[in-house]
Amino acid sequence: MRRRSPWLWAAALAAYAFLYVPLIIVVVYSFNDSRLNAEWVGFTLDWYRKLAANDDMLAAAGNSLLIALTASLVATVLGTMAGVALHRYRLRLLPILVLAPIAIPEILMGVSLLIFFVLLNFTLGLVSVALAHIAFCIGFVAIVVRARLAGMDESLTEAARDCGATPARAFRHVTLPLIMPGVVAGALMAFTLSIDDFVITFFTAGAGTVTLPLLIYSMIKISVTPEVNAVSTLLMLLTLLLIVVAAKLSPTLLRSDRET
Amino acid sequence: MNVRALAAAVLAIAAFATAPAYAKDQLHLYNWNNYIAPETIKRFEGVCQCEVVQTYYSDNEELLAKLAAGATGYDVLVPTSNAVQALIRGGQLKPLDKTAIPNLKNVDPAYLNTPFDPGNQYSVPYAMSTTILGYNDEKMKELGLPTDTWAVIFDPKYLEKVKGRVTVLDSANELFAAALKYLGYSANDVDPKHWDEAAAAIKKAKPYWAAFNASSYIKELTVGNIWLVHGYSNDIFQANLDAQAAGRKFHIVQGVPKEGAVLAVDNMVIHKAAPRPDLALRFINFMLDGRNSAELTNLIGSGNPNLDAMKYIKPELTKLPAVFPPKDVQAKLEQLKDLTVAQRRLRNKLWTEIKASK
Amino acid sequence: MAANGVSGTRMAKWLVSGPPLLYLLVFFAAPALIMVLASVRSPGEFGGLAPLVDESGRLDLNTESYVRLFTESVYLQVFVKSAWYALLTTLACLALAYPLATLIAKSPKKHRDLLLLLVILPFWSNFLIRIYAWMIILGPNAALARMVNGVLAWFGAGPVPLLFSAFAVLTCLVYVHLPFMVLPLYANLEKHDQALLDAAQDLGANAWNRFWRITFPLSLPGVYAGSALVFIPALGIFAIPDILGGPDDTLIGNLIKQQFLETRDWPFGSVLSIMLTVAALLLAGIAAWVGRRGAAGAARA
Repeated sequence: MRRRSPWLWAAALAAYAFLYVPLIIVVVYSFNDSRLNAEWVGFTLDWYRKLAANDDMLAAAGNSLLIALTASLVATVLGTMAGVALHRYRLRLLPILVLAPIAIPEILMGVSLLIFFVLLNFTLGLVSVALAHIAFCIGFVAIVVRARLAGMDESLTEAARDCGATPARAFRHVTLPLIMPGVVAGALMAFTLSIDDFVITFFTAGAGTVTLPLLIYSMIKISVTPEVNAVSTLLMLLTLLLIVVAAKLSPTLLRSDRET
Repeated sequence: MNVRALAAAVLAIAAFATAPAYAKDQLHLYNWNNYIAPETIKRFEGVCQCEVVQTYYSDNEELLAKLAAGATGYDVLVPTSNAVQALIRGGQLKPLDKTAIPNLKNVDPAYLNTPFDPGNQYSVPYAMSTTILGYNDEKMKELGLPTDTWAVIFDPKYLEKVKGRVTVLDSANELFAAALKYLGYSANDVDPKHWDEAAAAIKKAKPYWAAFNASSYIKELTVGNIWLVHGYSNDIFQANLDAQAAGRKFHIVQGVPKEGAVLAVDNMVIHKAAPRPDLALRFINFMLDGRNSAELTNLIGSGNPNLDAMKYIKPELTKLPAVFPPKDVQAKLEQLKDLTVAQRRLRNKLWTEIKASK
Repeated sequence: MAANGVSGTRMAKWLVSGPPLLYLLVFFAAPALIMVLASVRSPGEFGGLAPLVDESGRLDLNTESYVRLFTESVYLQVFVKSAWYALLTTLACLALAYPLATLIAKSPKKHRDLLLLLVILPFWSNFLIRIYAWMIILGPNAALARMVNGVLAWFGAGPVPLLFSAFAVLTCLVYVHLPFMVLPLYANLEKHDQALLDAAQDLGANAWNRFWRITFPLSLPGVYAGSALVFIPALGIFAIPDILGGPDDTLIGNLIKQQFLETRDWPFGSVLSIMLTVAALLLAGIAAWVGRRGAAGAARA
C-alpha cells in the first residue's frame, strides 16, 4: 500500500478545515441563546422548537428541496447529454448556449425570464422556478462531463460498437459508467446551486411561492435569527440522509468509483 | 432501476407540497419580512375566514422591478411613499373604494393627502420609520462626539475619532439625502450643483467609513464592533433590545440629527391585477383599526400614523423622538420623492464615481 | 487530442445534442434576447422599459446606453477590479482544491463518495448564514483578528480590519467557490491511472517530476473546467461585497444590480450585463484555445 505524502494530507486537511470552521459555527450557533448571529451567549433548544412551529419556514424548506431535486435531476440528464455532444461533435451553437447562462448576471436572467413567462402567460409558481434553475444548471453539468470525457479512451466504446452494440447500449453500458464520476459531480453542483439560489428565484417565483432562500434573504435587514441556522442544519442533514439512502438503494448506479 | 425510485420519491414530495389546495379564500400579501405581527395575521384570518399567503421583499426596488416585469398574483403591497409615487404614475395600482375602509378616519390627517397621492385614492399609511443615526452611547460619550448632527458622519474632525467604526447605508437615495441635509439643503433637492457638493462631502468622509452597508450593520452595532451608523430607526430600536438581551453594558441609542432626516412612510396599496380586491379592502380596513395597527409598533418599534392606535402602544415607545417625532422634529423630516430618469441616471453616475474613488 | 471516435451519424448527433439545445433555446436564449433588445431601448419613466413604440408611432431604439458605457471610464475601472478579484479567487481555489481533490481521488474506493459529499455538505446550508459565520470569524474582537493585529503590532504596524475589507471579500469568494473547483478536478483526477505514476517512479522520477510532467498535464481539462466554473460566476457576484465588503469593494456585479434595483435603468443594466457576458465568454474561449494547444503539447511529450 503506497503511503500518501504527508504534505498532501496536511494540505487536504487544511482545505477541509477551511470548509468546516464556518459550518461548525453555523451549527453551534443554532443552539445560541441570542437573536443575533454574532456571538455566543448560552445554550438553548428554543430555535429548534420555534422552527418546529414555523409552518412557513418548513414549507419553504420543503419547496426548496423539491425544486432542487427536480431541477438537478433534469439538469443532470440534459447536461450530461450536452457534455457528451460537446465532446464528440463539432457544434457551434451549443457551446455558447451552455456557457452563457453561467456568465450572464443572475439579475438579468431573472428579469428576462420573468418578462418571458409573463409574455407567454405562464403562471408563476414552483414550476417556473424549477424551469429557470434547470437553465442555469445545465452548463455546470455539461462542463464537468466534458472535462471528464476529455482525453478519454474511446477505444472501449468503439470496441463495443464493433461487437455489434447499438449506440444506445454502447452509451449505457460503456460510456455512462466511465463518465459517472463526472455526472455525479455535476449533479451535486446542480443541486447545490439550486437549493441556495436567490436572485433568479426571486423574479420567477409566484405570488404564493416561498423558497428557503427567498424567506431568509427577506430577513436580511431585520437580522437573520438562529432559527435559520436551525433550519439549515436540519436541511443539510436531511439532504445527506436522502443521498446516503439513495446510494444504498442503487449501488450500481451512483457509485462514482466504477471500474470497467 | 433506481431512477424510478427517485422519480417516485420526487412525485410523492410534489404531491405533498402542492396538496394544500383547499378551496379556501386567499389573500396574497407582498410585504417586508417581519412587518406585520403574526397575531394580527391570525386574527384577520379568523375574521375573514380566509388564508393570508405572505411573500416577502427586502427593498422597494425589488418590488418595483418585479411588478415592472409584469408579475401578478398579489393583492396587497406595502411600498414606501416614493415607490407608491412610481407605482401610481406607472398605472400599477387599483383605486381604493373608500366606502369599504371606514377606519381611514383613524389616521392622523398630517399623513393623509400627500403630494404623491392627493385624496388617498390609492394608498393609506401603514407604518413609518426615519433614517437617522444610531450609536453606542458608551463609546460616543468616551470620545466626546455629538450625536445630534449629520456632521458626526461627514466631518473629518469627528470621523478621525471613529475611523473604521462607522457604517453608512448602501443606498444612493438615503446617503445623498443625508449629505444634502448636512449641507443645509432639502433632501429632495435636485440641483446638480448641490448634488456635486453632496458627492464631494461623501467622498471626503468615505475613507473614514468602515463600509456602505444596508444588511449586516445592525449586527455589528449590537455586538460593539461598529460604534456609529447611518440607519433605520426600526433597526436601531431592535439593536438596542438585542444588546440588552445579550447583557451588554452599553445602549444603542437613536439620534435624530438637528438638520433633519428622511421619513419613510410605508403604505398599503392594492395591485391593479389583484385576484381578490374585496379581501384586500377588508384587510386594509382591518389594519386601520387602532389595536391591529399598534401590534406592529409594539413588535418592532415602528412609527405609527394611526391616532386610534396610540392608546394600545407601549408608553416607552411613544416617548422616542425617532419613532414618534415631536412637532419641531416633524417639521424637519422629509419624505423622499421619486426621481425622473435623467435624475436617476445622474445620481447613479455620481454614486458609481463615489464607490470607485479611493 | 484523442480522435473523435464513435460514429457521427447525423441522427445520433441530433438525439444527443437536441434536447439540451432545445431547452436552452427556449428557456435561456429567448429570454436573454428580450434583454439584449432592451439594451437599445429607453428606460421607463417610473421603472422597467419605455414602450417599444412611442406616442408618435416610431420605434424607440437608441444606443445611448452603449455610448455611456464607452465614454465613462469608471465602469471599465470597476470591471478590471472585478476581473482581478475573480482571478485571485480562481488561483486560490486551485491551490486549495488540488490537494483536496487528489486526496479524494486516491482514497480507497469505499471512502471516495463520502469524502466528496463532505466537501459539498456545507454548501447545502444557507449562503447568508455561512457569510455571517465568516463575519464572526473575521470580527475585530475574534481570535483571528487579534492574532493578526498582535503580530502586526510587533512590527509596529497599525491594526488592520479583517472585516469590511478586500481580504474579507476574497476569503468569502474563495470559500463560496471552492466546491466548484474541487468537483471538476476530482472528476478528472479520479481516472488517472496509478500504474503510470508507479512506472514513472520505478524508472526513477521523483515526486515533483511525477506531478509536474504526468499528473498536472493530464489534469488540465479538469483545471480548465474548474477555473471556468469559478472565474466566470465570480466575475458577476454582488452579495459578498454587499454584506462584508469595505467602502472600496464595489464590483461590476454590484453596479449591474444597482441599475436594476436602484436606478431602474434596465437598458444600461442590460448593456453592462452583455459586456460582462461577452468578456467572460471571450476569456473562456481564449483559455480553451490555450488549453487545446497545451494539451496537444502534452500529448506530444
